[in-house]
Amino acid sequence: MSILEIDGLSFSYEDGTPAIEGISFKVESGEKVAIIGPNGAGKSTLFSLIAGFRTPFTGKVIVNGDALDDGSEDKVRRHLGMLFQDPDDQIFMPTVEEDVAFGPQNLALDDIQGRVMNALRSTGTEALAKRVPHRLSHGMKKRVAIAGVLAMEPAILLLDEPTSGLDPRARSDLIGLLNGMKRTMLMATHDLEAVADLADRVIVINRSIMFDGTLADLAHRKDMLEQAGIELPSLSKLFSRLKDMGYDFRHIPVSLDNATSETARVIDEMGRKRQGR
Amino acid sequence: MGRLDARAKIIGVVVFVTVAAMLTVTELIFAALALSVIFAAFSQVPARHLLKAYAGALPFILIASVSVFLFAGIDRGIGMWARTSACVIALLVLASATESLQLFAGLRRLGVPKIISTLLMLTYKYIVLMADELVRMKTARKARGFSGGRSLFDLRGLKIIGYTAGMVFVRASDRAEKGYEGLKMRGFNFDLKTWRQTRLAAADLAFIAWFAVVSGALITFQLGAFA
Amino acid sequence: MHIPDGLMDPMVSAIGWIEFMVVIAVALLISGKKFKEKDLPRIAVLSAGIFVAQMLNFPIGGGTTGHLVGAALFAIMAGPVIAMVGMTVILVIQALMFGDGGITAFGLNATNMAIIAPLTGWGVYTLVKPFLAGLKTETKHGKMNLGTAIAIGVGAWASVFVSASACAAEMAVSYAISGGAYGIAATVSIPAMLGYHVIIAIGEAMITVAVAAYVLSVSPNAFRSISEKNVAVPGLKGIMSSKIAHATVAVLIVFALALPLYFMYSSEGADGLEKTMEDAGVDEGDAVLTSPFEYGETYFAALFAGILGFVATALVGLGLMNIFKIGRAAE
Repeated sequence: MSILEIDGLSFSYEDGTPAIEGISFKVESGEKVAIIGPNGAGKSTLFSLIAGFRTPFTGKVIVNGDALDDGSEDKVRRHLGMLFQDPDDQIFMPTVEEDVAFGPQNLALDDIQGRVMNALRSTGTEALAKRVPHRLSHGMKKRVAIAGVLAMEPAILLLDEPTSGLDPRARSDLIGLLNGMKRTMLMATHDLEAVADLADRVIVINRSIMFDGTLADLAHRKDMLEQAGIELPSLSKLFSRLKDMGYDFRHIPVSLDNATSETARVIDEMGRKRQGR
Repeated sequence: MGRLDARAKIIGVVVFVTVAAMLTVTELIFAALALSVIFAAFSQVPARHLLKAYAGALPFILIASVSVFLFAGIDRGIGMWARTSACVIALLVLASATESLQLFAGLRRLGVPKIISTLLMLTYKYIVLMADELVRMKTARKARGFSGGRSLFDLRGLKIIGYTAGMVFVRASDRAEKGYEGLKMRGFNFDLKTWRQTRLAAADLAFIAWFAVVSGALITFQLGAFA
Repeated sequence: MHIPDGLMDPMVSAIGWIEFMVVIAVALLISGKKFKEKDLPRIAVLSAGIFVAQMLNFPIGGGTTGHLVGAALFAIMAGPVIAMVGMTVILVIQALMFGDGGITAFGLNATNMAIIAPLTGWGVYTLVKPFLAGLKTETKHGKMNLGTAIAIGVGAWASVFVSASACAAEMAVSYAISGGAYGIAATVSIPAMLGYHVIIAIGEAMITVAVAAYVLSVSPNAFRSISEKNVAVPGLKGIMSSKIAHATVAVLIVFALALPLYFMYSSEGADGLEKTMEDAGVDEGDAVLTSPFEYGETYFAALFAGILGFVATALVGLGLMNIFKIGRAAE
């Protein structure tokens, strides 16, 4: 059974403008799925819908076996951990450890001490336990926010623009942290390089689903990229241009690893051709 | 002082201030002031911090004292100054020596309705955030040559100040919805509970007992003065 | 305007506490606004916004500055009940986190700034607005007409002036009934508080209008109550549920809050003052200014009561006229 099932989901704003229309997809346990699309495409609305903050909607949302309806919001939210774009929206307590304990305390979970310790350790924020979150850097605040989410042990993480506003160092640290977590994740993002490092699968939405597959496949779909207003990582753009110039790349690499192997292959082939002449 | 249970601090100071505010006998007022100053000295709150905060309350105190002095005599004028000072100092020590969350959680545990303690906690969180935003906006204003306006006739200056405040509000209202979602995603049921809950220890009980005894003595003498 | 502990007569402080508790409880009860969870973050961010706006100084002239109270702004933007709750929260934070205000004096401070100020601001705004509805000008923002701007300004001005008056009256009554041990004599408190706040209130009015104009032009839906239209419900029910009727009641409440103090003053004031001073053994020879201005006490008190009474009557009159208009229109 899929951990998240969305079937024919539609939602319109109060004034009648449709926000998303007929979205259906399934996510398997452990999968890391990136949701990409231009601004206003409904990425954030989709997350809000899944978490039960937007009603009324049509279609089905089933999270970890629980269907979302009027009255089941709290139960469904128990399975979800949301990382907001602005960590200040989800940090409430005046010390880091109190904040990490906030969720477990509200839900009256057991072993709060252990949960807090684990969450702080796995986000590398043990040293900040007694600090005031408000005075931390943006990157550190994100970590504290993640610790707060992990302490509740959700089945699925919903990450809204996880890398936005981070400096390069904090960004790669965060990607490393998320990569190391064996959890089901949905992330809404503009950052395709992060997608290349993190996601197993990419869903492009622009009100409805435009594409569902791997990033490598998406890289070949120029029409799709243009339509959805997506910029490939500059690495992929470089290869795309080289391919247009006639170099024999079989696919357009999206990460450094497959770029290296693809380049090595093409260089080898060209060398062989030259020797054969 | 910082180690004490917030409930003990709140009860002790409230009892003391309530009694001190009722004193009219000059000797007793000065006894209360002395107790307040001793309390401040033991609290480990930096004297500079207390003095600065006290200076903020001073205008009102001085106007009242001077006016009472002019119309009802020197004794009463000094009495007014000493009484208000005794109360203000004790309250300032409570405010400075108690961490915000401990204070709000303490109020909750003393039976303050949850709607109030939750609102206090949330409002304080947003005050901290928005005060920062305001400072940034003020800097931006300054960088573009605005120095705060000249007088009430400086309409443009007032308009800019009004717009700055307006900006604070618009950002505030944008925040409200996300704040609600943030709370719900973390299982909040709108009742403030802290994780590390302190228990009333011997030191706390001694603290309350001390204030109960001195306050009891002060009020007994005060009432006795009229008997 | 934050009264510290120990300044007011304990009797007056106690009345302040009682008045505050009664009004806030009744307001929550009648308005049926058992706040929903979803409202709490909204009230909190608005309260924080007002708190932060209070940190903005505005220039008065000659290098002095004043700062916003914001109660009228709060009430006009979010409605009177939310404003009362929010202002209460702000005052608790100011008293307990910053030592600004007091514990025994909290009832009075809350009555002045969390009840009288928002109710007056909102009441005056609501009652004055229909009469200025004809005033329309092309404004740059196009969202707020001149009539609304004036109504907001008048409401904000009245809110500060009336709450400062209440504060002055509380000090005067404290002085009178305690025989000079507490409070400030009416001869000083009323002219000083009123004189200062007549000016400060102008700044409050101008800033409030500017804030409202900005909010309306940038994010008109952020605060529904400004743009809310009076929905015409026919009959008596319509009249009772109309904003005009509520605003009239608000002004009456503000006026009623002054009554206990007035009775205390008239039974113990003026003549009572000398008597209590004798009882307490105060030698008038100690005072620098004995028996101020012959008839000073009563003169200022009467003048003050007269002004307030006139304004309140005028506002209630406006309200009643409007209610009749609504009633007739409904038939």
